[in-house]
Amino acid sequence: MALEVTSGDDPILEVGEFYQLLTARLESAYGRRHPCWVRGEVAKVYEKTHLYVDLVDAGSSASDAKRPVLNAHCWASQWNPLKRKLANDGVTLQAGTVVNLLGYVDLYAPQGRIGFTVTEIDVAGLLGDVARRRQELIARLVREGLVEANKRQALTPVPLRVGLVASPKTEGFNDFTGQLLHSGFGFVIVHVTTAVQGEAAPAQIASAVEQLDGAGVDVICLVRGGGSKGDLAAFDDERVARAIAASSTPVFTGIGHTGDESIADLVAHTRAITPTKLGEELVSLVAQWHERHVRANAKRLLSGTDAVVDEATEYLAERRRTMIFAVRDRLRSEQRQLTSTRQRLVMQSRHLLENAHQMLTSRRQLLSAYDPTRRLAQGWAIVTDDKGSVVRSLSDVQLGDTVRVRVSDGNLGAVVNEKNGEVT
Amino acid sequence: MSTIGDWNEAASELNAIVESFDEGEVSVDELFVKLERATAIIEALEERLDATKARVEELAPRISRVADEQ
Repeated sequence: MALEVTSGDDPILEVGEFYQLLTARLESAYGRRHPCWVRGEVAKVYEKTHLYVDLVDAGSSASDAKRPVLNAHCWASQWNPLKRKLANDGVTLQAGTVVNLLGYVDLYAPQGRIGFTVTEIDVAGLLGDVARRRQELIARLVREGLVEANKRQALTPVPLRVGLVASPKTEGFNDFTGQLLHSGFGFVIVHVTTAVQGEAAPAQIASAVEQLDGAGVDVICLVRGGGSKGDLAAFDDERVARAIAASSTPVFTGIGHTGDESIADLVAHTRAITPTKLGEELVSLVAQWHERHVRANAKRLLSGTDAVVDEATEYLAERRRTMIFAVRDRLRSEQRQLTSTRQRLVMQSRHLLENAHQMLTSRRQLLSAYDPTRRLAQGWAIVTDDKGSVVRSLSDVQLGDTVRVRVSDGNLGAVVNEKNGEVT
Repeated sequence: MSTIGDWNEAASELNAIVESFDEGEVSVDELFVKLERATAIIEALEERLDATKARVEELAPRISRVADEQ
């Protein structure tokens, strides 16, 4: 380097020479071999293969034109592994995040800018911050009564119309819908497609909950399969939590794996530990109702029907038997009555005949006393005139009349020659 | 002969006939008429019961499927 010397013995540097000198000085103090940690609040962040972050002092005002800004960047070779690590821990770099960055100073002479090349990000610090913000959010939700708000919504006994917030064709989506579709019950799924991870996910999920709340579904299900904490971060978002709390429809969650509990789980009406378990829970609710109100009644109906038919059958058989016996009894009774009457009639008839016989005998004996033949045999005679009339008085004949005199063994002819009123 | 009413009406009439037999109120002249009426009621009720049983036999498997399904 050829330096021109001024009158004051200070060298006069070309611009390039100045930047070379500055770069050398900076590298010796804050260069690659002398990295340092810088704490700041992310003012802007964007990613385009590499990560670009504008860092400012935490709490400084954006309207302060004089606030210092550090233009940091992380080249893709460093950023990609760091990005995976952050995602696994559920950390997202976003405006407002306070972060500790390890890196070194570099100077970009064409633009005269000092930059900061990031080689490491303090994840532990970020995690603490994330946890703190999460606890603060939970405390706010509790304070506002939003944790219990959705739990107070009444769940219909048969939640067959299911609003589903999920990303289609994912494992969680398939696990959940598979449970419903193979249950045999008539579930109707109203699906609103959303992202379930990434920056756009919270707003989409919150919007989907609001949309389904007005769609007349029985229950809204938030479903997402397992993943890293970063993958599940959308379900810790305040917008999602508030959308769930504001929903008048019960919201069920089936997010991640066993043990993952998101803030969405916390404020939801019912939480299942996985999408599969959530599907099972819904199927179980419907199955229990079906058992109580359909199967049990079907059994009672069958039993009751059998009882009614059996009772009617037995009733008719009994009536038939009773009728037959009653009629037979009645006929036998009548028969006995007739027989008895007949016997009485026979006896009475015999008695009557006997009486009649006795009466006739008596009459016959009586009449025999008046038998004229007996009188004729005793010497009595019957006198008749010429006309055959019995002569009972002197006046019945005249002197000279011819009469007929009947005696016991024949008749005599006689002429009346005397009428004498004296009887000797 | 008058028509046979619904089950309960017919059963009441049948019961009344049986009771009249039990109590010996039926004369011989009435016996055949009442027996004929009672027989007609029993046969009509049995016919209805058989028809009901047949319908129940048709429906029972369908109800059983609901009752037995898992």
